[in-house]
Amino acid sequence: MADQPLLQACRVHKTYHFGAHGVEVLRGVDLAVHSGEWLAVLGSSGSGKSTLMHLLGGLDRPDAGKGEIRFRGDPISLQPGAALDAYRNRDIGFVFQFYHLLPELSVLENTLLPAFVRSARKRDRATLRREAEALLGAFGLDHRLSHRPSQLSGGERQRVAIARALINRPAVLLADEPTGNLDAATGAGILDLLAERHRQGLTVVMVTHDREVAARATRQIRLVNGMSDVVEES
Amino acid sequence: MYASLVSNRYLTSRLIPVIAVAAVALCVALVITVVSVMSGFLDMLKASGRSIVGDVIVSSGIGGMPYSEELLTELRALPEVAGATPLIDTIGLLRMPYPAGPQKETAHVQVWAIDPASLSGVTDFADDLYWRAPKDAAAADAMAPDDPRRSLDPTILEDGKRLVQSSTKTPGIALGMHVSVGNARQRDGSYLPRYGWFMPGLEVTLTVVPVSGKGKIAEPREQIFPVVNEVQTGLFEVDRNRVYIPLAEGQRLLRLDEAPLYDLTADPDAAGNYPVIGRTPARVTKLLLRAKPGCSADALRDRVQAAYDAFADRVEADRMRTASMPRFVQVLTWEQQLRDLIIPVEKEREMMRVLFSLIYLVCAGLILSIFWAIVVEKTRDIGILRSVGASRTGILWIFLRYGLIIGTLGSALGVLLAWVIVTNVNPIHEAIGSDAPLAIRITAWSLAAACALGLCVTALRRKFLPTLLWMLGTIVLSAAALGLSLHHGTLIWDPSIYYFTLVPDKVDWWAAGTTAVGGVLFSVIGSAIPAAKAADIDPVEALRYG
Ligand SMILES: Nc1ncnc2c1ncn2[C@@H]1O[C@H](COP(=O)(O)OP(=O)(O)OP(=O)(O)O)[C@@H](O)[C@H]1O
Ligand SMILES: [Mg+2]
Repeated sequence: MADQPLLQACRVHKTYHFGAHGVEVLRGVDLAVHSGEWLAVLGSSGSGKSTLMHLLGGLDRPDAGKGEIRFRGDPISLQPGAALDAYRNRDIGFVFQFYHLLPELSVLENTLLPAFVRSARKRDRATLRREAEALLGAFGLDHRLSHRPSQLSGGERQRVAIARALINRPAVLLADEPTGNLDAATGAGILDLLAERHRQGLTVVMVTHDREVAARATRQIRLVNGMSDVVEES
Repeated sequence: MYASLVSNRYLTSRLIPVIAVAAVALCVALVITVVSVMSGFLDMLKASGRSIVGDVIVSSGIGGMPYSEELLTELRALPEVAGATPLIDTIGLLRMPYPAGPQKETAHVQVWAIDPASLSGVTDFADDLYWRAPKDAAAADAMAPDDPRRSLDPTILEDGKRLVQSSTKTPGIALGMHVSVGNARQRDGSYLPRYGWFMPGLEVTLTVVPVSGKGKIAEPREQIFPVVNEVQTGLFEVDRNRVYIPLAEGQRLLRLDEAPLYDLTADPDAAGNYPVIGRTPARVTKLLLRAKPGCSADALRDRVQAAYDAFADRVEADRMRTASMPRFVQVLTWEQQLRDLIIPVEKEREMMRVLFSLIYLVCAGLILSIFWAIVVEKTRDIGILRSVGASRTGILWIFLRYGLIIGTLGSALGVLLAWVIVTNVNPIHEAIGSDAPLAIRITAWSLAAACALGLCVTALRRKFLPTLLWMLGTIVLSAAALGLSLHHGTLIWDPSIYYFTLVPDKVDWWAAGTTAVGGVLFSVIGSAIPAAKAADIDPVEALRYG
């Protein structure tokens, strides 16, 4: 089954309701992400890119009965519970445009959070700590381990967020405009990081507005009218 | 593991948890303090009633009950009875030794003719005698320099306990503390005789009116008694009206003593006397009984009623007896006897319960809303945690733990605070009652001045928030300093007006326990509900927050 997509959206619909009438943002999106690719999702503002990412990451669910998300060929659970928690925790790493770090936790603790959620065992702690330190070291944050997120710059925060997304070695990294809030140089640094991980075999799905950013991906698609069009392939 | 990590960070890295702990502690302390002091007052009021009449009262009509000694011996043998005493209860007039000159004042009084020794086993009579020598030198030093008790010797208490003036061996009278207008109550609850009218040792004249069995009033009789001591029961109505004389004197004055029985159907002899055919026994009008610990007043009343009826039957059947027991006696518990006094107390207690529940609800609502606000502010964090795979139970546990720790800490501090306040309520009350020391007033004014200086400096620097804070500080401190300077000590519970010299200072531990548990419970509920709510929505929704 070499050509089975790693992550797949099958005819997903998503409607947001405002009182009586609803806005159907996604209208039967079909998307397949294959293992080892770096996919860029383009689209105008409000086209539903973030919505699609949230569905892929199991943070939100499609309209009832209208499509499903498949991971390694199996539909992911849509009801809250242990299966969905495990999917978010192990299979997916999510990077948000606005970092979303816990303000009371240090850089190291924020990074370790998914690992601690995964394993409650105390004896894993030291090993996990070393892994997190190595990861943050590779991201150039070794002197920032005990700092609070509020003491970091935007680029540094995004690097912490990526380290957090990678700590559990997920199969797919979902990044929603990871460079959206950063200047070009800092953004390039983040993209270099992603490229490095991609070379090591990580599958990446990345939302962006920026054609230059999208150009670094191996494949680009565009969300138009709530459906996905393939723009070009490289 | 992540749950304890996250809740520990929440607890240690912000000021809010400290404020929450303080709020819980203050709420808990408030409830415990109010409940302890108020129910302490009610208990004291109620207990003082019981301490003056015992548990059960047997009362006959004005004709009295004969054979009281026999009956009392039987009653004392009952396993429920801890003590029993006879007395005569009547009204009388008391001619006071004051003012100087031939015209004296007269007071109407309730007269209790008592057997002091057995009465002390039923009521607190011996303990209520006010005039007594100081226990030791330290106790004497604690008294005011002009307190007459300083120079008393122990015989005054012994005389009071026996109702005999030992120097003259004459039967004495003990007056309720407020029968004499000479006794002026002081701030500390002690008494100072006004215009030198220290009653013990002075003579008063008691007039009583004997009433025959047929209800006819006989010639009033009077007797001069030396005052041997004064009695402070703590109930104003009692202390204002009652005097105590020895039982034998009362029986004699009221013609209730043992007397020859004449045969009025026979012809009188030459001197006009009818022949004596026997003796009528002495009588009393009341019996007071105290129950053994563990026996309720109601149980004792039923037991005494039965014993009385059986005794009356036997007296009736005995042909050798010259008198019979009255059939219509009242056997009442002290609560029934003092209903007029107790019903308001009970009503007050009910009202207190309602007020307590209100305070409790307000505090509970306060705690709930504090935690609610804290946790709602963390909704975005909950979204983040959910997005990295934290389970809903994990989220719930973070905030349960958070509420539990703050609630427990706050409740513990609150109990401690309440304990400190309640056990020191009297010194605190006294401090409020006296003028603020000069040093404190000076400190308050200097702090206010310092704040005003800070206000000037920050105002010149055009900083908005510090200016506001300094202004607030200046206003509060000036008000406090002004208050301290104008305040000349007002006692809230002024013992020169109220009976209980001390404010109750025992912590009601049952209330403390339930309040502390309530404090923890509301902290946990207040944090768990919004946390559960946030954990139930999809993470994206939670992330949208804030
Ligand atoms: N929770 C919500 N309730 C109602 N409408 C929503 C909600 N979330 C998104 N929308 C709407 O759905 C549409 C798509 O939103 P989405 O955030 O997916 O767009 P996007 O492509 O990520 O845009 P951008 O490039 O600006 O981030 C928008 O019109 C938005 O207003
Ligand atoms: Mg978006």
